[in-house]
Amino acid sequence: MSLANLLDEAGLTGRGGAAFATGIKVRAAHESGATLIVNACDGEVGAAKDGWVVAHHLPALIEGARLVTGGQPVRVAAKRGSRTLELLTRAGVDVLAIPNRYVSSEESALISLAQGGLARPLTKTVPFVRGQGRDGNDRPIPATVVLNAETVWRVAQIADRGPGWFRSQGTATEPGPRLVAIGGAVARPAVLEAAAGMPIRALLDHVGVATDAEYVGVGGLGGILLPRDTAGELLWSSTDLARFGGSVGPGVVTVHDPSECIVDTVDRLLTYAAGESAGQCGPCMFGLPAIATDWHALATGIEASTADSRLERRLAELPGRGACRFPDGIARFASSARTVLADHLTAHALGHCPTHPKERHVA
Amino acid sequence: MSPDPSVDVRVDRIRCSGHGICAQLLPETIRLDEWGYPIQSAGRVDARAAKRAVDFCPARALRLS
Amino acid sequence: MINELLWYLSRATGITSIALLTAVLLLGVVTSGRRRPVGERATILMGLHRWLSLGMVAFLGVHITTAIAETYVSIDWISALVPFTSAYSTAWVGLGTLAFDLVLAVVATSLLRQRIPERLWRRVHWGAYAMWPIALVHGLMLATSAEPILTAITIACGAVGAAGIAWRLSTGHADRDARRGALQGEWS
Repeated sequence: MSLANLLDEAGLTGRGGAAFATGIKVRAAHESGATLIVNACDGEVGAAKDGWVVAHHLPALIEGARLVTGGQPVRVAAKRGSRTLELLTRAGVDVLAIPNRYVSSEESALISLAQGGLARPLTKTVPFVRGQGRDGNDRPIPATVVLNAETVWRVAQIADRGPGWFRSQGTATEPGPRLVAIGGAVARPAVLEAAAGMPIRALLDHVGVATDAEYVGVGGLGGILLPRDTAGELLWSSTDLARFGGSVGPGVVTVHDPSECIVDTVDRLLTYAAGESAGQCGPCMFGLPAIATDWHALATGIEASTADSRLERRLAELPGRGACRFPDGIARFASSARTVLADHLTAHALGHCPTHPKERHVA
Repeated sequence: MSPDPSVDVRVDRIRCSGHGICAQLLPETIRLDEWGYPIQSAGRVDARAAKRAVDFCPARALRLS
Repeated sequence: MINELLWYLSRATGITSIALLTAVLLLGVVTSGRRRPVGERATILMGLHRWLSLGMVAFLGVHITTAIAETYVSIDWISALVPFTSAYSTAWVGLGTLAFDLVLAVVATSLLRQRIPERLWRRVHWGAYAMWPIALVHGLMLATSAEPILTAITIACGAVGAAGIAWRLSTGHADRDARRGALQGEWS
């Protein structure tokens, strides 16, 4: 059976966040003789599983890449200055070093950089795997497929142990083992071998969550915010997380530091996000700073209700209006925070903060 | 000539620099946000109007699909 | 008699072409340099920019044809397309030919815009910033002392156009500034 058919049967989906069916991608890659870029960037805030795969399963990763490309060139992308890049370089892998920017690890940003351009997203008219795409200078891009490092490792595992092994873990709709990186206010931050259907509580217990931790982020800057108790009642699965607008995504769980006011945490993250726009699309380069400003107004409680209705409108208008999904992710995260922290934000509007009750809140 | 809704237009968000001509020529489906960039509502548009909008965009940011 | 008519027609369509070219340049400059969303005005300006440029090509056609046809001075068909080949006033007619070649390039690439790479269109279009002063010099040097009005109009076009270009270079623009600002960061 061909590799693509094996992957179809296993039901492997991308482990980088988009969860696209890998079998379809691999089939298209074989048809067009595409080159492969392995994304080992851990681009999401709090991500660590790509580096974990490189550190612990590099030979299998390389084998998986060889199977996907059938001899075509492979490059592995990682952040400049990272341990992951160092390990790859030492192993003689052809590396693509990306700058430490949030959107630089996006699929088309990697392709752009590999073409000799900047590590910024490109407009996608057709899938790049078909070889008809164009870069920022209108030059044609040869057929290229981008796969997450964990995905490529799983390809090697499935080729070795068979689709049945893969499907024996996880759920029917989300089969197979999945890595999750859990960090933040935990005793033992770690990358765990998990699978869809596991209770999130079990994952959190494994790493030892701080007893006074109140909020958990699932999916980093492009994901959602959950109260810790709510998270503890859910299964690690996109089906459960979809009820709150989220998904298992890139496998990142962050327990937020309880000593910092959560509204301030979100403020920091949205300000960071605003500075990470590639500055190519109007709705992103103007919208993200505007959203950060609105949130800051909510945090300080100054003219909060006008800021809130403005924020609501801007968040509704943002998705789908950039060349990449970065603004969609930020809108998802900010919307989730605005909903989950509604009571906390009301307190700020009235001049006090549940986290620091003795202080009049000043962000 | 009655409108003939038959094509979709797509905005190349990187090329778009907010001239706003598309919102003028395709007012049923495109309006501008507070910074002058297009917000598209779902729906196909009249082919002739779409071609004119594609042609007129100074940034060549519209595409028929 | 006919010859004199052709001569004056050539001068008249020539100065009209310069005036139209200046107007087209200003319309282009306002479009690319605009400061805030002007959806309705932007459409009108873009429409005018195109229509006037085609009108200018028509006037240019008459200007060149009459210049060739009249026999006061010796200019042949070749020198209408190949710069610096006319017997009469080689340098200054040559500049006019050069400007005309650039007009043809700008118009052709604009008509074919959907079919050519965007960067090609952009670079040729920037050639307009060269084409315009070349046309002005052509006009100034070929206006005789018996026609001070032609010189005056050409100089006025020069002043207005230069002001427009100066505005374009000095004006801030939110989209452009934001893009430039983002490029300051590390992206490779």
